[in-house]
Amino acid sequence: MPISSNFFVRSTAALLVVGLLALLGILGTTLWLVEQTQHYFDEVVEAREARTATVDLRAALQDAETGQRGFILTLDERYLEPYNAARERVLPLYEVLSRVLAPYPQAAEPMQRLEQAITLKLEEIDETIALARGGQVADAVAVIHTDEGKALMDEARVFFDALIRAADQRLIEGVEDQRGSAIALRWITIIGAIIIVLVVGGSALTVVQYTRDLMAARREVEAANSGLEARVAERTADLGRANEEIQRFAYIVTHDLRAPLVNIMGFTSELEQSVVPIQRYMETRPEDDEDPALAEARLAAREDLPEAIGFIRSSTRKMDGLINAILKISREGRRPLRPERLDIAALLEGTASAIHHQVSENGGDIEIDIANPKLTSDRMSLEQVFGNLLDNAVKYRDKSRPLKIRVVGRDAPGNRIFIDVEDNGRGIAPQDHERVFELFRRSGEQSQAGEGIGLAHVRTLVRNLGGDITLTSELGVGTTFRVSLPRDLRAIVGSSAK
Amino acid sequence: MNEARAVTIIMVEDDEGHARLIEKNIRRAGVNNEIIPFTNGTEALTYLFGADGSGEASAGRHLLILLDLNLPDMTGVDILEKVKSNVHTKRSPVVVLTTTDDTREIQRCYDLGANVYITKPVNYEGFANAIRQLGLFFSVMQVPETA
Repeated sequence: MPISSNFFVRSTAALLVVGLLALLGILGTTLWLVEQTQHYFDEVVEAREARTATVDLRAALQDAETGQRGFILTLDERYLEPYNAARERVLPLYEVLSRVLAPYPQAAEPMQRLEQAITLKLEEIDETIALARGGQVADAVAVIHTDEGKALMDEARVFFDALIRAADQRLIEGVEDQRGSAIALRWITIIGAIIIVLVVGGSALTVVQYTRDLMAARREVEAANSGLEARVAERTADLGRANEEIQRFAYIVTHDLRAPLVNIMGFTSELEQSVVPIQRYMETRPEDDEDPALAEARLAAREDLPEAIGFIRSSTRKMDGLINAILKISREGRRPLRPERLDIAALLEGTASAIHHQVSENGGDIEIDIANPKLTSDRMSLEQVFGNLLDNAVKYRDKSRPLKIRVVGRDAPGNRIFIDVEDNGRGIAPQDHERVFELFRRSGEQSQAGEGIGLAHVRTLVRNLGGDITLTSELGVGTTFRVSLPRDLRAIVGSSAK
Repeated sequence: MNEARAVTIIMVEDDEGHARLIEKNIRRAGVNNEIIPFTNGTEALTYLFGADGSGEASAGRHLLILLDLNLPDMTGVDILEKVKSNVHTKRSPVVVLTTTDDTREIQRCYDLGANVYITKPVNYEGFANAIRQLGLFFSVMQVPETA
């Protein structure tokens, strides 16, 4: 299925969004898990601290008790050393423990009891030591015998054990939690990686598919293009053939028209020659008004026959002119073109020099301005084209003002050149703009001799050169003929299959 | 033209008006030889080469052939080719007189052995003049006997 560019953009965007979400998910979860780990770690550290503090406190308390027992037994101050050392540490250690356990409200009540127990225990120890120092060892032993101290110690011990167990529990749980979050992190990473791989794979697949579709589309376009070129070439060849056929048709028709025309003209001459002796004979006859037949015959020989013959002659002459004109144009179309490199400015100068004296006679001038004179074309055709146009400019000038002719050559798109032949002549009425290019058609006042083939001929020539001719004109102001020509005729001739 | 040799002018011209005008103008040039007109190629070939097409029929004749190229049944070029390739008629002068002025056609006719190629002038004065001069030319030229 071909992927439309719309679908491509949308699916790629969707995949990108999914990929981005997956990345953000991984990032977020990782951050959260790291945070969790930090938290678990803190908890573990706290648990360790609590445990350490508990153990230390218990040890200190036991040391104090041990020192008390030893001193009472021996009354040797040396045995009091553990007591002295521990006695200082007990309360700070308790402080440490209570600080560690401060965040746990459930520990507040047991801690209070522990504090009480510790305080009482320390008091009992201090009291017995004070008694023993005062020599009242028996009293001190009696105090110990009350088991009050032992009970306090047991209570503290129970509490310590509970605390240690709790701390151990917390440690185990913390480690478990750590492991759990590590596992979770691993899974999240794996799942995220899978999603990203899928997204990347999907994107790559879409891109590959889309590129393949683009390539296929391009191949299709190329195929269509080459097909189009072939069709254009085919049509051009068809047109060339049709054109050739028309030229050939014109040629044959004019030739075939000539044969009867020769007869008409020939026998008209024969007739004319035959009339001469008849006229001579008529002159020899006396004027006899009595004979109406003779008068009629005389009239026929003198007037009717020469008149008829005169009309036949003038008509055949006209027809001959027309046939010659058609023949000229059809022959022009059949003439092989000879493209050569030429300087159009020089060619125009040459053509203009032929009419130069006619133009300068009444104060006119010709200006030639060609931007880029390089051209590859058929010299003879161009000379005829511009010769005709310049002749027309002279022929149809406005007698009331000096003739000004400007020939301007400019580059045109598609490697063509526009050559404008501009005059200030009498101009052509708008309805005649197309008509002047037709064979045997002329425009405006018929003040000049001509058959009306000049511009038709020019158009045939220009079109043969792969160009065209158009005109803009205003009656009474002037006319501009624009000749559009390819820079290189060979490109045109080469492409029409001949 | 030498009367004793009795040169016969064979005129192959499908347009009877042209044929008549040609004949008239040749006569005006003072040529009185027999002119045999043909209006199509088949009849002309039959006369020139006989019913068997061998050309024996023309043996011993003195012929001058005036040939138009545009004929209803064939082109004059075919006739020219046959005349110039037949052993009996190849020495007979052939004057191609036609309306065609195509360069290739003219070259082809000379290549095939045409002796003169004349394009019919379109205006009658020119036409009549050309034919008369052709007649004058006929009156001085020597025509060999066909083999």
